[in-house]
Amino acid sequence: MNTIRWQPIATLVLSLFGLGVAIYLTITHFSPHALVCVKNSTFNCEKVTTSPQSEIFGIPVAMLGLFYFVPMIALCLPVAWRSTDRRVHLARLILAITGVGMIIYLLIAELFLIKAICLWCSSVHIVTFILFVIIVTATPLVLTPRHPTDGYDETYEGV
Amino acid sequence: MAPDQKKGVNGGNKPKPPSGAGGAPGQSAKDRSRAQSRPISTKAPTGKSGQAGGAVGGKGGNTPRPGGRPAPQPPPRRFSGALMAWSAVGLVIVVVVVLVIVKVAGGGSGSGSLAYTPVVAAPPAVVHDVTTIPTSVYNTVGVTFPSAAQPVSAPIKLSGQAPLTLEGKSPAMLYYGAEYCPYCAAERWSVVAALSRFGTWSGLKTTASSHTDVYAETHTFSFHGATYTSPYLTLATVEQYSNVPLASGGYTILENPTKEEQAVIDAGQKYIPNATPGSIGFPFINIGNVAIISGATYNPGILSGLSWSDIAGGLDDPTNPVTQSIVGTANYITAAVCKSTKQAPASVCMSPGVKAADKSL
Repeated sequence: MNTIRWQPIATLVLSLFGLGVAIYLTITHFSPHALVCVKNSTFNCEKVTTSPQSEIFGIPVAMLGLFYFVPMIALCLPVAWRSTDRRVHLARLILAITGVGMIIYLLIAELFLIKAICLWCSSVHIVTFILFVIIVTATPLVLTPRHPTDGYDETYEGV
Repeated sequence: MAPDQKKGVNGGNKPKPPSGAGGAPGQSAKDRSRAQSRPISTKAPTGKSGQAGGAVGGKGGNTPRPGGRPAPQPPPRRFSGALMAWSAVGLVIVVVVVLVIVKVAGGGSGSGSLAYTPVVAAPPAVVHDVTTIPTSVYNTVGVTFPSAAQPVSAPIKLSGQAPLTLEGKSPAMLYYGAEYCPYCAAERWSVVAALSRFGTWSGLKTTASSHTDVYAETHTFSFHGATYTSPYLTLATVEQYSNVPLASGGYTILENPTKEEQAVIDAGQKYIPNATPGSIGFPFINIGNVAIISGATYNPGILSGLSWSDIAGGLDDPTNPVTQSIVGTANYITAAVCKSTKQAPASVCMSPGVKAADKSL
């Protein structure tokens, strides 16, 4: 089925969830004691969110999550998926690729540098990966006209 | 088998089974569309075509649209966007799986989680630097803290309490912590500095907090086995746990508080906000029943990556953020001790840095 049906709603819901967790992690970055999380030899959110790797160029990674999910929400609105402007779809695609690149870096940091896993962070990583899968597989459908005379939105059977 | 499909397989190959691409009689319109748009797709793969992959061919761009509009020209075949997309997804999955395998196979959690910093006699130069911080530094820092993001918190003030007595001696101060605890690691620097203004330390050791906990490997002292003598104050220290991790989790026990010390700890719990009944966080410091410190008064992260010499060597610089954190807390502790010693010795208790801290108590 070369149509976009469920992807707009799915990506929007995932982005909203990601934004919520990113807000929570940003708050707890500055108040580590407020973080509620499993703590044992493998999982330790506080250790991750207060590690040197929790900031990039002085910006908390959790805050970078905000900078990722806010535009992603805008780009995943149904109206954005219906857009005939290629740049909207390319921007969403680039953001998704950037996000998955970031989670690979953060996974390396957690596994090999910090040596602890943050479950809250992992939930954001999973959401980001699912967003990546949906967006990367859906973008060719919205960018490729099904018929020489078709516009991009012909592939959208919207919600 | 539908007759019109037979027409479409003129090449002599056997017709596909009904479950394949062949249409049912009721789908004649769709079949017609397919016949128009991809007349050769029902042939068995010959291996010479560039589109040998059946799944890819089936997902191609020439599936008729629901409206059944006949495609005038089938779009030219090109490298499938869907194939690229799923390849990218597969690549990411492979990268993640490889990372996890490397982590698990590398045994990173084995030696890493059981690593610890040994407790050894403190270098004399480090002890000297911490116990002889110039008065001018104490006075310049006062209760200044590095930044709004790195505040130094005042101890919890107690009022109307009888002076703390331990082993029949008063005034007294109780430190209760653990060697693995990063918050204790930060606080010990200030305790050593503050109490050196009232007496003499001996047998101090250096170590570091847990390698696996938050603020890992924060360099510090250990009070286990150290002694403190003062004409003004009695000090009791309890390092309940070491920083040596157990394979089963937790840390080895070094010493437990006496009944008298435990009673002081239990009594202090009600003054600590959000304290859970029956448990108390490390460190817990009761300064003569004048003030209590629970947890760290400054962010241990400020000591991250600094050696004992780095930290101690910077204590003569009042503009150093680490010094401001350590000395600021030391001034608070000193002010509380001065309340319990009735402002003795005056040379310490009347100094501007201590008076500045005293205002917050």
